[in-house]
Amino acid sequence: MSTASAAGPLLSVQDLGVTFGTADGPVRAVDGVSFDLTEGRTLGIVGESGSGKSVTAKALMNLLPSYAEVEGSITFGGRDLRALAAARERHFWGVELTMVFQDPMTSLNPVKRIGEQIAECLRVHLGRSRKVATAEALDLLERVGIPEPRKRLRQYPHELSGGLRQRVVIAMALACGPRLLIADEPTTALDVTVQKHILDLLDDLRRERAMSMILITHDLGVVKGRADDVMVMYGGRTMESAETPTLFGRMHHPYTRALLETIPRIDAPAHTRLVPIPGRPPSPAEVGRSCPFAARCRHRIDDCLDGVPPLVPVPVGAAGAEGAEDASHHSACIVSVGSDGRGDS
Amino acid sequence: MVGFVVRRVAALVAVLLAVTGLAFGAMNVLGDPLFNVVGFIASVDCDAVAAGEVDDISGQTAGGRGDCEVIAEARREHHLDRALPIRYGYWLGDIVRGDLGTSFKNEMPVREVIGEKLPKSVLLMVVAQVIAVGLAVPWAVAAAYRAHRPFDRASTVGTFGLVAIPSFALGVILFYLFVVRWQIFSSRYDDTDLWSRLRSMVLPGLTLGLPAAAVYMRLLRTDLLTTLQEDFVLMARAKGMSDQWVMFRHVLRPSLFSLVTVFGLSTAGMIGGSLVVEQIFSIPGLGRALVEAVIRDDFPIVLGGVVVVATGFVVVNFAVDLLYTLIDPRVRADG
Repeated sequence: MSTASAAGPLLSVQDLGVTFGTADGPVRAVDGVSFDLTEGRTLGIVGESGSGKSVTAKALMNLLPSYAEVEGSITFGGRDLRALAAARERHFWGVELTMVFQDPMTSLNPVKRIGEQIAECLRVHLGRSRKVATAEALDLLERVGIPEPRKRLRQYPHELSGGLRQRVVIAMALACGPRLLIADEPTTALDVTVQKHILDLLDDLRRERAMSMILITHDLGVVKGRADDVMVMYGGRTMESAETPTLFGRMHHPYTRALLETIPRIDAPAHTRLVPIPGRPPSPAEVGRSCPFAARCRHRIDDCLDGVPPLVPVPVGAAGAEGAEDASHHSACIVSVGSDGRGDS
Repeated sequence: MVGFVVRRVAALVAVLLAVTGLAFGAMNVLGDPLFNVVGFIASVDCDAVAAGEVDDISGQTAGGRGDCEVIAEARREHHLDRALPIRYGYWLGDIVRGDLGTSFKNEMPVREVIGEKLPKSVLLMVVAQVIAVGLAVPWAVAAAYRAHRPFDRASTVGTFGLVAIPSFALGVILFYLFVVRWQIFSSRYDDTDLWSRLRSMVLPGLTLGLPAAAVYMRLLRTDLLTTLQEDFVLMARAKGMSDQWVMFRHVLRPSLFSLVTVFGLSTAGMIGGSLVVEQIFSIPGLGRALVEAVIRDDFPIVLGGVVVVATGFVVVNFAVDLLYTLIDPRVRADG
């Protein structure tokens, strides 16, 4: 399956826009999102609910409903995804590009045996016989760390715990050897104790298969140390994007900082209050005239309400200083908050 | 599983007792059993005859017996001098021994009458249900596949039309078109062999089956649309399964519950036969026989029919419960 173009990213998204036609008029859920993902790397997409991260993932997976209007270009391994979708290409999604969903309790078919659900992909896409597909499903179950895999093959989803089910879902997603796995909040619905196991499993599998991954989460803490690059989304737009160490070292956008402050830190003194972000995310119907975060931002100035700030490279030096720009670090904020992450408030 | 079967059999017995008890009581209270057995001589005042005050009205009963002898014999045979619950007890005792009694009117054993009529009604039911399910499933899948589009909207109108049209109207229309106008089918019920019996059942089957198909289609379409919202459908799509595959391999089976439930209820209803349809297409089935028996106060036939229909009802719904466990493994765990 190694048909990767010699150079260039595995996945390239340019100016992606998704508009839903609703009874109350068009709603822009994703607006002007662009990013590249190099083969073998992990991209973390972080944002609150309603930030457009899941819609972005569904656009990549060709899972949007028919009343969604998609703009922009998506290329994967040099192929135009929207053209593939229009041509009803059958053996692309599920083979080269797969996805794991948030809630393992509902993402397995309750009336089909687990083995059957894993083997399905192999049989339909790769034309494996029932016997071969079942044997491969057994290997997959073993690989994702499910005890007594032979017995599990014949069980139904309701007989398994949430953590085991998410492992089954991961086995399903990996069955056809994808080059890119999108994991949409893969641990949100699970017990805290299970979350780390699942994230570590995904990490191991990614490394062992030289697979790329998009890890979608609302938790900046999840991407730290796991993702190579991070993209922070808000109100359907990219707020800030950078390589992970850069982002955590010199975060530029007030929203990124606000997100980080909502997470408990192990090194903070006991009983340190977490700082919630006041207000609520804008509904997609409200965005488009100003910085989407302006209404909740502590650093807002009048100019923030005057047009949507573009995503621009962040200068390497201190705030406002002349100097080189970091080509991989972009932020959509016109206010200089301070590169140490502590703005004047 | 054993407990399940035992509970079911107990339910069957309870249902049969309740239904036959009600029917037995109603028939005996609303009609005079003696009159139904012996006819007009029931009004002879035998005490007066015995006292010599009046003569036997006719004195012409076959065998030269007096009316009062006939009356006394009928009372003895049918236990008419006993209280109602005791008579019900006698009837039950006969049933347990497999004796459904004999018709008051033509002395035919009830078992024979039902044995002759029931297969025709069952055949009609089977043909009607095959038509109904055979139409409803692909129709619902097609409508749910493109919900709220023109085909789906037209289907809604069509199904409402089919449900709203009374069966006598639909039957008569079909009869007129296919029998009178185009002469594709014969107007008589042809009992010569299975093939001709099936052929005779096409129009009555359509008359019963089309409205049922409409009901099934609405139920299944709604359940399909609900299932289509499930996450596992999204997951199946993300696995790259085609729309048809997702619909038939993932969505259809978990969506069958309402359809199966109503299917069970209407199957039992159809075993009782459909008087109107049997009348229009002159099928000598159980429905017609039962209505005629009610009109003529032929108690044993009516009660025999009640037993058959009630048993059918319980058995079919038992089968439906077993079907649930086939459809959804989660039901098995709770079973």
